[in-house]
Formats: sequence, C-alpha cells, structure tokens
Amino acid sequence: MNKAMKWFDDRLPIFSFLDKQLANKPAPKNLNYMWSFGSLAGVCLMLQIITGVFLAMHYKADVNLAFDSIQHISRDVTWGWLIRNMHMVGASFFFIVVYVHIFRGLYYGSYKAPREVLWWMGILILFLMMATAFIGYVLPWGQMSYWGATVITNLLSVVPVVGKSIVVWLWGGYNVGDPTLNRFFALHYLLPFIICAVVFLHLWALWTSKSNNPKGIDLKKQTDWIPFHPYYTIKDIFSLGVFLIPFTFMVFYLPDYLGHTDNYIPADPMKTPPHIVPEWYFLPFYAILRAIPHKLLGVIAMVSSIAIMFVLPWLDSSKVRSANYRPIFRQMFWLFLINVFVLGWVGANPPEGQFVVIGRVCTVLYFLFFLSLPLVSKYEKTKPLPTSL
Amino acid sequence: MKKILTALTLSVLAATAAQASEGHIELKKSDWSFTGPRAHWDTMQILRGYEVATQVCISCHSFKYFSHRNLTTAGFTEDQAKALAGKMDMDVNQKLLSGLTAEDSKETYGLVVPDLSVMAKARHGGPDYIYSILTGYEEAPAGVDVGNGNYNKYFPGHVIAMPAPLSDGQVTYSDGTEATLEQMAHDVATFIAFISEPERVERQQMGVYVLIYLVIFTALAYVLKCAIWRDIKKKS
Repeated sequence: MNKAMKWFDDRLPIFSFLDKQLANKPAPKNLNYMWSFGSLAGVCLMLQIITGVFLAMHYKADVNLAFDSIQHISRDVTWGWLIRNMHMVGASFFFIVVYVHIFRGLYYGSYKAPREVLWWMGILILFLMMATAFIGYVLPWGQMSYWGATVITNLLSVVPVVGKSIVVWLWGGYNVGDPTLNRFFALHYLLPFIICAVVFLHLWALWTSKSNNPKGIDLKKQTDWIPFHPYYTIKDIFSLGVFLIPFTFMVFYLPDYLGHTDNYIPADPMKTPPHIVPEWYFLPFYAILRAIPHKLLGVIAMVSSIAIMFVLPWLDSSKVRSANYRPIFRQMFWLFLINVFVLGWVGANPPEGQFVVIGRVCTVLYFLFFLSLPLVSKYEKTKPLPTSL
Repeated sequence: MKKILTALTLSVLAATAAQASEGHIELKKSDWSFTGPRAHWDTMQILRGYEVATQVCISCHSFKYFSHRNLTTAGFTEDQAKALAGKMDMDVNQKLLSGLTAEDSKETYGLVVPDLSVMAKARHGGPDYIYSILTGYEEAPAGVDVGNGNYNKYFPGHVIAMPAPLSDGQVTYSDGTEATLEQMAHDVATFIAFISEPERVERQQMGVYVLIYLVIFTALAYVLKCAIWRDIKKKS
C-alpha cells in the first residue's frame, strides 16, 4: 500500500477490508467449477442493474406509452437493442446460474451447520429475484405481461378475509392498469438494490463461516487453504468467459427465444391469450400451483415449495455434508433434479389429461424429497470421510 | 456424470414433447436473405415488399413503427427514401399509417386490424408464418363452417377474418418482376421482417466478432489459470 492509500485507509479502511475479505481470504483448495456460480450470479446481478438503469432512462411507465417506448429503445436509442437484449437474456441466465448455485449447495450440503443463515440469505435472494423478474416482465406491457400479471396477482385473492382487499391495494384499482404499471416500475427499480443488500449479508455470512468444499469436511490443516486471489479470481474469470459465450450467442442470435411471441402484441384487456404461460424459470412452481385442485392450497403449496428450503438444515440432520459420501441422498438428489425438470415441462403445458396426473405425482415427489430427509438422514449408512484434502 | 446426462436427455425430450403436444401447424419454410451466416438485407426485395405493403396491406393495416427514413438501414440512400416518401405524399419521418380507423375496422371486420410493424416477432415462425398465411388460403373442406371468415391452412383454428389479400398480378413491381402470389408473399414477409427488427442484420454481423473475441479471451484465461494453479496442482 502506498502512502496516499495508507493515509486514506487509516481513516476509512476500505483497502484493508478488500484485502482481508477478498484478496487474501483463505479458500479451500479443492473447490470445483460448481463453485464459480456464486461469483457468476454476482456478475449477472451487476449486468441486470447496469443495463436496467440505461433502459429506465428511455422507458415510459404508462399503459399508453410503455409498449411504444420498448420499440423506441430497440429502434431509435443508440445501442438500445443491445442493452434490451442483454437485459432480457440476462434475466434468464441469472436464473440458470442461481438454480445451478442452489443445486450445488443442495448436493454438497452447504446448507448445514454452520452455514444455515448463509443458506437463508440465499433463499431470500431467490424470493426477491422472482418478485423482481415477475414485475419486470409486466413492464413491456405486451399480452403476456398483462395477463401474467392478472393471473398471478389474482392468486393473492385466496388469502382468507382480506385477500380481495390486498389485490385491490396491490393493483391500485379494480384491475391491472396504469397505477399497477407505475408502481411495478418503481418496485422493479427498487428491488435489485434490496437484493444487493441481502447479497452483502449472504457474503458476510460466507466470510464468517467460510466456503464449504466438495468433500464437505471441516478443513483443519493450514495446507488445505489457499488465498482467494489469484487462484479463485483467475478460475472465476475463466468461468465467466465460458458463461459469456452462450450468453452472447443468445443476445445476438436468439434474443427472443426464451420469451413469448405474444409479448410483442400490445396488452389488450378485452382479449385473453389461448395459453397464459409464465417465464420458463417459474414453470416448475407454476406446475405445483396447478397440481392442487383447491386454489388456496395450491398457492400455499407453491410458496411452500421454496419456503421449505428455509427449514432444510433441520430436516436433514445427517452430519455428513457432501452427497459424495451419502449413497441414498445422492440418488435422491438426482431424482429430485429430474423431477424439477419434469415439473417444468408440465408447467409449460395446458393442465389437461396426462399433464394433470404427471403434475400431481411430481408435486408429491417434490415434497416427499424434503419430508423423507429426517428418516433418511437417521438411517442412511454414510461412507467414511477423509480427515483432510 | 451418467446421471447428469440422463437428466439432460430427459429435459430435452420434455422440451420436444412440449412443442409437439401444442398441436401446432407445420408452417411452410422458406429461404430468407437475413438468416444464416451470410445474412443481409436484399434491397431490391425490400423495395418489392414495400410496394406490396403500400399498394395492398396499407388499405387496412398500419405500420406505425415504420417511417421511410428506416429504409436507409436496408441500404437505400436518403434521396431514394425521400423519393419513395414523396410518391406517397409523405414526409420521410412520418409514420406509415392506414386510412382505416379502429372504429371502422371493428364495424367491418368485427375486430381491430393489427399493426404489422412487429408482426415478424409477434407470431411463432415469424417470416415463415407471414409467408404461410399469405399463401395458405383455400376452399374450406366440406363440413367446415367458416361463418363470416375465410379458410386458411396455416392459421391457428383455420378460420381467419382477413380475406385472401394477394392474388397473381395484383401489384405492379417497379423492377419488372412478375408479381406471382408466391413472389409477393415472400417479398412482403421480408419487408415485415425488416421493419420488425431493422437492427437484425447488424446484430448478427456484430455477434460474430463478439463471439470470436470471447473465445480468445476465454482461451487466454484458461492458459493463465493453468499457469497460476501449477504449483498447487503439483503439491497435491
């Protein structure tokens, strides 16, 4: 540190903080590429915020102007099409990255002591991301924006007694309209910064409890640790390159592939689209919602399907973290992953015939995974753990 | 690893099955100048498509995101764009709007005729969809009641409010091309694809350079990663 930096650091120790928490932070030396998805998620968040701020400079949150302003961005704003495509594709890739990050945590037992609060902050971020993404999809004010918003906000009307009032309060009227769009824009701008704050708590918890590792053991030996920089900075930069190639491909060649063509039709409250489908990243949860014939129970099941992860550290009482040493849990994990894909497929299809049956079976299996963990962790015979790397 | 592969295969299968089960109609596929590795806007074809749009479509459909100045993106000079606008008694920056108002449209056709300026993005299949619809009018099969509508092989549900808009020789092309139904449909679909995303060709050309840059960047990062990690790998 040179003299000027030291002078500053004595008064506001940003440099020593960065040095201690990022550069010289000890990290387990055996982290595999699955551990890159944490920093990738951070990059995605930054990308969404930066592109989003520029989009907000040209967007108009008014039901008569919103659709046109999106076309204005794509056609007339310098590099507007690029910024918009990055934001659109970026949202999808953010979810891909975060889902991989969560499944990595699940596989290697990163939710277990002493990382329960770290895990909680992650689930909280997922909830906030879902809210932000859902609200953001309303802003272009296409057919899917309007009808998606109508269907999903209507879910809250099932809350006993006050449900209807909550929906009217949320809409700012008796249907999704101009006040709704306006407040959704305000919230879509606000929530990412709340996510940033929770990300900081997530990192703080990480610095306190340190990274888990593929073996899932507590590392006692000094030689099991290496400094984060340069080892993991360069590894994460390489991972970022690998991530950016498919991302860029989508931005330049298939920007609308993950969206819905109906959203290029301006919102029309008089005309319901034949299928109202949420964005792909909500499909498994949408399938759970529709699997249950009772509206209130369906909403409860959908919310619980994510909220149940808050109690996961106590459902799974096995002292062994990594699935590599847990033969039964390992099988369950892969079946659970496949089950989530099947749920996504069911969610993309109209709720008729075979899809109803498959959706219900998969919903039961989804919750069975979590609810069987207390028994599994009690009776599972785990493999012997190594004592160091 | 095997299980990851199984999971992936399953999800791909699921995705294909999802598409198949939607009961969608197989569209006619055509070759477009603006797709593939040598994507470009074919200026003459866009001019012909513009002629179909301004001689036929415009009587009912608006193109509200299109002004003649946009033609410069497709390789027209500013003077050419101005000349074409002049022929329509329009300013080069003016929106291309139909004379049919929403009220009249509702009265005549029972619905508001859609604007065409993002049509290539607003339907599955994009330009293939437009091309298929325009060439897909047929006599309704026996037993199918179309009411006040018309039968179209490619329209979802087959009953479309729009009467067949194009027939052989309907347009007089300024370049002397014979105005067959197929020709006009293909030209106007190209024009609509162009005005739906004027940046499309630029986007596809630029993508190549960005991807090449990223591949080099990633390769260098990998080499550097291996160099930095060498001592750690040796020890373990």
